Amino acid sequence: MLGINKILSHFGIQVLPQFIGKDEVMDHPIVDMKSPVNFRMTRRGFLKVAGTGLTAATLGNTLLDFAAWEKEIQAAPTEMIPTQCNGCGNRCGILAYVKNGRIWKIEGNPEANGNLGLICPKGHGYVHELYNPQRLKGPLKRVGNRFEPISWEQAYKEIAQKINLILLENGPQSIFWVNYPQSNNLYALRLMHALGSPHYFTHGSTCYTARNAGWKVTVGQLPCNDLGNAKYILIIGRNPAGGIDLAQVKEIVEAKEKGAKLVVVDPRHSETAVIADEWLPIKPGTDLALLLSMIHVMIKEELYDKEFIKNKTVGFQELEDETVNYPPEWAEKVCEIPAKTIVRITREMAQARPKALLHRGYHGAFGSQYLNSFQTARALAIANSLLGNINREGGIIFPKSAKLGELQPKHPAPELPKVQKADGTGIPGRYPVGSYGDGITHAIPELALSGELKAGFVYHNNPLRTNPNPKRVIAGYKKLELLVAIDTVLSETASIAHYVLPESFYLERTEAVDTKHSGKRAQVSIQQQVVKPLYNTRPGTQIIIDLAKHLGVEKYFNFDIEEGNRLRLQPFGVTLEELKKKGMLFVGEEWKEGLSKLETPSGKVEIYSKALEDLGFSPLPRWEEPLVSPDPKDPRSFRLLHGKQAIHTHSMTANQPYLMEISRYYDMVRLWMNSERGKTLGLKDGDEIEIESSIGKGSIRVRLTEGIHPSAVWLPSGYGIYSRNLNNAFGVGLSYNDFVPTLFDPAVGHAMTSEVIVRIKKA
Amino acid sequence: MPRYGMFIDATKCVGCHACRVACQNQNELPAKENFNRIEEREYGRFPNFNREFLPVQCQHCDNPPCLKVCPTGATYKRKDGVVLVDDKKCVGCKYCMVACPYSVRVISEEHGVVEKCRFCIEMVEKGKEPACVTTCMTKARTFGDLNDPNSEVSKKIGKYKAKTLRADLNTKPSLYYRKT
Repeated sequence: MLGINKILSHFGIQVLPQFIGKDEVMDHPIVDMKSPVNFRMTRRGFLKVAGTGLTAATLGNTLLDFAAWEKEIQAAPTEMIPTQCNGCGNRCGILAYVKNGRIWKIEGNPEANGNLGLICPKGHGYVHELYNPQRLKGPLKRVGNRFEPISWEQAYKEIAQKINLILLENGPQSIFWVNYPQSNNLYALRLMHALGSPHYFTHGSTCYTARNAGWKVTVGQLPCNDLGNAKYILIIGRNPAGGIDLAQVKEIVEAKEKGAKLVVVDPRHSETAVIADEWLPIKPGTDLALLLSMIHVMIKEELYDKEFIKNKTVGFQELEDETVNYPPEWAEKVCEIPAKTIVRITREMAQARPKALLHRGYHGAFGSQYLNSFQTARALAIANSLLGNINREGGIIFPKSAKLGELQPKHPAPELPKVQKADGTGIPGRYPVGSYGDGITHAIPELALSGELKAGFVYHNNPLRTNPNPKRVIAGYKKLELLVAIDTVLSETASIAHYVLPESFYLERTEAVDTKHSGKRAQVSIQQQVVKPLYNTRPGTQIIIDLAKHLGVEKYFNFDIEEGNRLRLQPFGVTLEELKKKGMLFVGEEWKEGLSKLETPSGKVEIYSKALEDLGFSPLPRWEEPLVSPDPKDPRSFRLLHGKQAIHTHSMTANQPYLMEISRYYDMVRLWMNSERGKTLGLKDGDEIEIESSIGKGSIRVRLTEGIHPSAVWLPSGYGIYSRNLNNAFGVGLSYNDFVPTLFDPAVGHAMTSEVIVRIKKA
Repeated sequence: MPRYGMFIDATKCVGCHACRVACQNQNELPAKENFNRIEEREYGRFPNFNREFLPVQCQHCDNPPCLKVCPTGATYKRKDGVVLVDDKKCVGCKYCMVACPYSVRVISEEHGVVEKCRFCIEMVEKGKEPACVTTCMTKARTFGDLNDPNSEVSKKIGKYKAKTLRADLNTKPSLYYRKT
């Protein structure tokens, strides 16, 4: 195993005690964001309009003409336009209702694979951001410690001048782009490539790259789950009812109605555990031990699919030799799930195979959490393979995805950049298993501090709040010679930018055609304009095209979004008009069961990975301790876990009153702690505590509960906003990022955001 | 004549609050005013533990205590069992809020009148379902005609032997719950 020095060495980081508190915020300017108009058309508002000309006597003590409002509700011309939600990265298909020129409500698009007609609270609440008075209303330029309005043309001109100078002095590899979500990366990627830079980043390294890498090494790609047809579902760490995936939840519920069993393995009693048949509160960071032991049982009791193993996998013998070391009695000591439970659930799953699956996972447990996350994802993929469920109904399936049309040859693509990515993804000796496409986003501050990155564009992303170790992140991003933020509000990141380019809200803009919603049949979808922009804002795609023109690479952008979308749809025999009418359309063939050649070196499931061995990593999943563990002798020592609540996405929804009001009313910002541990510390439910890690401290109220493993505390994500420009969320709750040091997994480079020990005491 | 009612499967609710915000949008309510409350309860000791979320809103009682105390007759019950507030008649005295044993009535700061769940009656009359029902990801809610023994809602109430909240109060609610 590689030691901590090696882990930190690629970016030369020393983990030093450095503190950031809620009050110790950067010296960013505050902008007066008073809205010129109150856009909420209330019933009272309606009365004011409808009642014009009525005398006071007519109104009398009638405060509101409800009947008139009800009549208006039915009579007002209501227009429905299908589009895609932006409340998180899932980009669910929605039907937006416009009444009197205003957005009234949204409903789920029943055609959409990803949400099957449903909408989550974030989707309903995020609609109101359109009328948020704190939205950006025009481009801004930083002058000293203030923002001043600037025209689009002047902003573009100045940005282009600075970029061109940086390109000249430092080369194209000194420029980067950070994107969330992945919707219009076609354009952003093209712009970066046109400038010669390979530096395109998503939020992946703080979220899911370990999971993706584990699956990719083992079966060649990231699959999805056929939950609706499964008879036995084991979910480790993933919480689709909290970190919402609407289609998955619906499918789980339907499968359960048909008799399927749901087992949730999670140190915290998650929202998915609420609907589970069994909750197995595992000791955090030991999911790999559970999986290795399940594999042990499957092999020892010959419960696995022998036919599948023989024909479709490589390295079974080596796996057998390795997992002989992991009997359930051993695992019980490590992961604190009883040996007999491990044996029972393994047998039950084998009984149900191939319609038994271990959920492919997302962020929790092995997305980017631990030093052993990558090998945990590998073990999970292998356990599924032993069940013989790969690309079988009710198992792990390879989704049908649509290959969108290319802009080239009509609009020639720039050459791929010749320089290597400075974050080391895909490079032997650095982060060879890391995702080149996602990059290691939390390495940007390090690369800025070392001078390798000089200028960046941050699109709809907020690394200053969503990356670990904010003090370090602030220092890194502040070191940049040029930072351009493209956003709808002044997030923490936008607040320190040199230029802020205001993007039109999602309901005001049309995006590049997308294939996000793929499942058993591929879908193309479109996020299209529903209402006219309220302010001097532009769509992200337009901003990219404008920037290209000013940066002298317009030859790669001689098209507009309309033409780009037509070209993308060309392979499918559907018109843009048809797509706009429906929002989403099925394209291509139906998914079929069965496995042909996989995209791995051997073309088979790689239980044993020669490629990993050649790179100096363990070719088989072997038990690996987490990097750090709480001190069992110290009653104040806990592992800090985090996770999503259904009402918030990253840092982007906390300021939305419709969603934050729920957090406030139910005091959902509290830190979860096991009741017994709390008692030992002299705590009562709701008490204020002080929490401290090697890099940060803070205080918050505690929720004492029986629903969490005693060794850990859990913070909901989405809080701890420290941009004063987001005044509804400012200072409410804590972010786990304030406590997590800057870490890089040695193989994948993920942030290992649960490798953090905190000390807690009564405030 | 139908009698509208709802079956809520509290064993399926995951406490996401989508019903609350969908309802707020449908009824154009401000952020702080809402018709859906979710109560959370914990059962058992670690590791044999579970939680339950109980969504509570106007129970559309057949014998509504709120109606009896209303001095202006603003609260009324339709023939289909839906309890509504006539905003024209409501003077905002809040007697009904005190009388409601389920605490589901809210005063509209903006309008000075009392409001609550209306079963999205304008949607229901068009043959659609209330906003809280269509948005629910676990299908914890089933809406329909309690008078029709073949309706989905009646069948589920029968199947799960669903009960009303605080049946001892004789309010005869139209909302039926399945609880653990």
